[in-house]
Amino acid sequence: MDGRVLAIVERGYRGALEKQFFDELYLATELHRQLGGLDILLRGSAVSYAVDAGPVPALRIGGRTVDTLTDPRKGLRVLLDLGVRVWVEEPDIAALGSPRPLIQGVALTRPGEIAEQWGDYRLVFFL
Amino acid sequence: MARQIPHTDVLITLMGAPHASDQVTTALRLTQSLLERGATVQVWTCGYATMLTQRSLGSDKPRNLADWNREYPSTAALVEELLTAWEGRLYWYGCRFCSDDRGAVDHLPQVVLRPPGGYAANVAAADKTLHLGGI
Repeated sequence: MDGRVLAIVERGYRGALEKQFFDELYLATELHRQLGGLDILLRGSAVSYAVDAGPVPALRIGGRTVDTLTDPRKGLRVLLDLGVRVWVEEPDIAALGSPRPLIQGVALTRPGEIAEQWGDYRLVFFL
Repeated sequence: MARQIPHTDVLITLMGAPHASDQVTTALRLTQSLLERGATVQVWTCGYATMLTQRSLGSDKPRNLADWNREYPSTAALVEELLTAWEGRLYWYGCRFCSDDRGAVDHLPQVVLRPPGGYAANVAAADKTLHLGGI
């Protein structure tokens, strides 16, 4: 199939303890493989996925330690390593006010900049 | 004869659906923290939150294709872990209507399904009720 696919992620944090590895970025990895090339635009609360922070801490549940919670930064790094291009909208990341840098490989984009390129994509969808 | 609901310090009413937000994680963290601090707790689930204690998955989620040999606990396993670790201080209730309405018919044996009309008795049995989410 020719042409890349754009996936827009606007809503972050859709479950951690119940979701674990199977989040929207895990799905994106499979879509990237099947559809022949994915780009991702992070907007809204999902922009914090792109902040370079440490791993998700483990939780204590009863007498058990659960260290398999959803880790979107790990998911993004997997996608970047596979050649997925990841953009994050600048005003949304600025609104977070985090002093931490972005994950290496993630690029900033101005509002509407990616929307101007929709016509270049074979498929655009909200993930 | 109406069921006697054991008194607890806190009732956590979890109506928010799993896989939609971090409310389930918050509810279980809160439950664990309260129990660690010596409180007694009851949890009442409504809506899709009743699915948390379904036994259909067993103790683990389906395998991760990217990490085949790693185990990922199911929510039923985690709730069972809580109920075992804090036996006598944690109670887990589910709304029978919501559960039936979603075809959730095979819960952990410790889960007590209650009629929606019985909810007020659970609220009355707790000193404080915390309500998370909506169906």
